[in-house]
Amino acid sequence: MNAAPLSSAARTATGKVRADNEDAVLERPRQGLWAVADGMGGHRGGALASRLIVDGLAELPLAGDLAERLGQVRQCLHRLNRQLGQTPTVTAACPDPVIGSTVVALLIEARRAACIWAGDSRCYLWRAGRLYQLSRDHSLVQQLIDEQRISPEQAAAHPAAHALTRAVGVGAALALEVVELEVLPGDAFLLCSDGLYQDLAPEALGAALALPSAALAVQRLFAQALDGPARDNLSAVVVRP
Amino acid sequence: MTQACEQTYFAFTAGAASAPARAAAPAEALPDLLCGRYRLERLLGVGGMGAVYRARDLLREQFGDPEPWVALKTLGAEFVDHPDAHALLYGEFALTLRLRHPHVIRPYGFEVDTPSRRAFMTLELLKGPTLDQLLLERPSGLPWPALRDVAIPLLEALAHAHAAGVLHGDLKPGNVILAEDGLRLFDFGLGQPLEGVLPGLPRLSRSRVKAWTPCYAAPELLDGAPPSAASDLYALACLLYELGAGSHPFARCDARQAREQRLERQLQRPPQLPAPVWAALRAALAFDPAQRGSDLAELLAAFRAPRTGRLQRWWRRGRG
Repeated sequence: MNAAPLSSAARTATGKVRADNEDAVLERPRQGLWAVADGMGGHRGGALASRLIVDGLAELPLAGDLAERLGQVRQCLHRLNRQLGQTPTVTAACPDPVIGSTVVALLIEARRAACIWAGDSRCYLWRAGRLYQLSRDHSLVQQLIDEQRISPEQAAAHPAAHALTRAVGVGAALALEVVELEVLPGDAFLLCSDGLYQDLAPEALGAALALPSAALAVQRLFAQALDGPARDNLSAVVVRP
Repeated sequence: MTQACEQTYFAFTAGAASAPARAAAPAEALPDLLCGRYRLERLLGVGGMGAVYRARDLLREQFGDPEPWVALKTLGAEFVDHPDAHALLYGEFALTLRLRHPHVIRPYGFEVDTPSRRAFMTLELLKGPTLDQLLLERPSGLPWPALRDVAIPLLEALAHAHAAGVLHGDLKPGNVILAEDGLRLFDFGLGQPLEGVLPGLPRLSRSRVKAWTPCYAAPELLDGAPPSAASDLYALACLLYELGAGSHPFARCDARQAREQRLERQLQRPPQLPAPVWAALRAALAFDPAQRGSDLAELLAAFRAPRTGRLQRWWRRGRG
């Protein structure tokens, strides 16, 4: 366990268009664990999926060093992937439903951090006046950019551009990606769903993370995002170690 | 995307009771506090028609109960105005209530939260891995003693349910939990009473409600037949095979696909399974229910029979 709770703030909102919020956020500053999950699936199935993930991570004992904690988070997400895979189909009109969720989680132990994710919810790092995207989207857009070497603009025009290539609950096997790094003084982390980063330019994300507190950063991010179209649910967790 | 084969298919077919004709207000979102008594704390799972939460029973807590938690199963918002769905949830409660067995989950009560119009049932809260989670940890299957320790209470629980006139209807690894004080069979949401049992209970017609889990459903269920003791036996045999071998008997194909591809010819005995157990299990996996030449009692007897060692077999042969 970390000696003192790390400073963090979190918020999730339905936005201006959607009827329900299918995002969920987790803050466990004493245990050094934060997460954002963005659910998908009809009939509020997405909201259940993201809540299942956040509630599952909230119960983890999180003992041991960073590697052991990361192992517990991985195991939990694999278990939930299997559990969500059993989710029933509920209507004859939808014979092949998908109920699942993205997840991006951040673990911090002493001066080490680990980011683990599946899907297109992101983790950003603000360091020395620059914004770095730590996670790489598991989306068709990213795949098209990586494999066919086309521009982000061309990829975004693809009819299934927003389709995910990985998420919890949609495949028999879950492939999680992990990035580990050293934490430096002055670093700030942002976990967010696509509803937040799609409406804000990287400069706006950086300017918010440059603010002196996590609460102020979240306040700024939401004020700006909700000033825009806010067509999707939006969520953000800011951590300042 | 790959579709996990453990999915339960639940479909109101054409002609099913439709939503009430009256212009009902849309159901309220599920409140955190139901009936002023049950505070929802954590989502534990997403089921066929709704979700299961861990809830704190504030009444029990007020009286100093050190373990005031219950499992609370509720319908999804999309079913709240569907009369068939309420009947199905009550049916599950009524069927589970009939069963009193140490290896069947214990129901507590069925209630309706008036403001949100949500029906829900409360049950004992169980802590432990489901067999599905166990398979995730043990991908090569269980050794014989561990397999037997799961199989015997599970077979006993199902035999008790059948003797009480209750069919489970959706046996699969995700519906069996290894709780701290022993195994429990749960989720009778797709259960059916046998003819003549609970006659007043609204019966759900399988011609109107179709529900199955593809790779554990017996072929006759997929062909439209009602659930039966034989279809429960087939599902249980799939489950027990998977626990022994670590993989589904028919490579996660549904029974119709497996039958078409004649996959039963490729079935192999998991090496740790004694021959009599394999014979009973193999018979229970028959696609044709008339040929399903084993029953729960036979399977149970096979699992309970002491295993004979090589020396004993040699001794018997020598004396025979």
